[in-house]
Amino acid sequence: MKLTHEAQTELTRIAVKAGQILHQHGAESRLVEQTTQRIGVALGAQSIELSVSSDAIVITSLFEGNCVTTTRRCYDRGINMQMVCDVLRICVMLEKQLLDAAQVKERLARLKPYKYNRWLVVVMIGFSCASFSHFFGGDWPVYITTFFASAGAMILRQELAHRHHNPFVNFALSAFVATSIASIGVIYQFGDKPQIALAASVLLLVPGFPLINAVSDILKGHISTGIARWVFATMLTISVSIGIVTSMTLTGVSGWLSP
Amino acid sequence: MELLTLIIIDALFAAVPAVGFAMVFNVPKKMLIYCAIGGALAHSLRFLLMNFDVQIEWATLIASSSMGFLGLYWSRKRLIPRPVFTVASVIPMIPGSFAFTTVIGLVELNSAGYSIEIMQIVTENGLKTLFILGALSFGLALPSILIYRGRPIV
Repeated sequence: MKLTHEAQTELTRIAVKAGQILHQHGAESRLVEQTTQRIGVALGAQSIELSVSSDAIVITSLFEGNCVTTTRRCYDRGINMQMVCDVLRICVMLEKQLLDAAQVKERLARLKPYKYNRWLVVVMIGFSCASFSHFFGGDWPVYITTFFASAGAMILRQELAHRHHNPFVNFALSAFVATSIASIGVIYQFGDKPQIALAASVLLLVPGFPLINAVSDILKGHISTGIARWVFATMLTISVSIGIVTSMTLTGVSGWLSP
Repeated sequence: MELLTLIIIDALFAAVPAVGFAMVFNVPKKMLIYCAIGGALAHSLRFLLMNFDVQIEWATLIASSSMGFLGLYWSRKRLIPRPVFTVASVIPMIPGSFAFTTVIGLVELNSAGYSIEIMQIVTENGLKTLFILGALSFGLALPSILIYRGRPIV
């Protein structure tokens, strides 16, 4: 197969677009690397070399001594597994030769992140954190307090994320709201151990995905992206704690460090 | 019999956060049921093991590696990348409370001054966070570390 310089440039652009989408929507580095390479090779390059860092990808395609290199910044678009699934499906279809380069490009450009109805997510997150309160040994009144505390925090979190506020500010404010609502339950002694609601209601703000991605990046050899994700997740945890402490200082309710 | 009831209740309560967080991660609709099953299985397995006095870190490792292998099977079957099911399924086991207690303890150490009791809370919770989290991620990564070793799964 012969590849003109223009065709090689086009191939590189398609491959980098796929990598960029994966990176922006929270795929781990190994998946970004593998999928980009597979798409590039399936489109006719001899090899694809890429460097994934925490906020950009650099990719070079090689074909008979010709190199084409391009860089894309990857701004965080929030975790979206549906986009990751779709890019991977396009990659598999390309490898089975069901699509050609133009079709792949068109399909990648057409991908739109699917979002669940926000109120449905609010209710589900309320129930999720309320279920965590059950694991901590809470009774039904605590379950109800936790539901309202975490649902309130989730509404604020979505609203601030929608307006592109800084994630650290967002998480601190949401933790403040969750703890403040939950401490109403403590003040009025709603249920047997109302302090449980304080602990359970902020669990919607645990950066679980970045933490798991961080460790799995490090395990699979992408040390620098792993460290960057780890630091980001740690900073989010610190912001949440600042929000909790501020709320507890203002309301005078304590429930975290007393065993 | 009583244990069985407890396990079923635990599984039901674990399925809710698995689906809830899967929706935050925008997992496609058809995959939500897998997240629910995975979350229920993994958390109730950990509950069962801890009931037999297995340490929480080891119980987490066993539960998350079984989730990793189950995710491998589903991922090959449905041609979907593994993190789509596995991460949401292990969310109920994430040591969030330990992590927040650690950092709140650190804030308290700064504002109220050093005390052995708070330092003890910080150290114990911090170590629990690190080891549980390590066990979780290592367990999930086990199939690709042991079997696939760099080759793509789907």
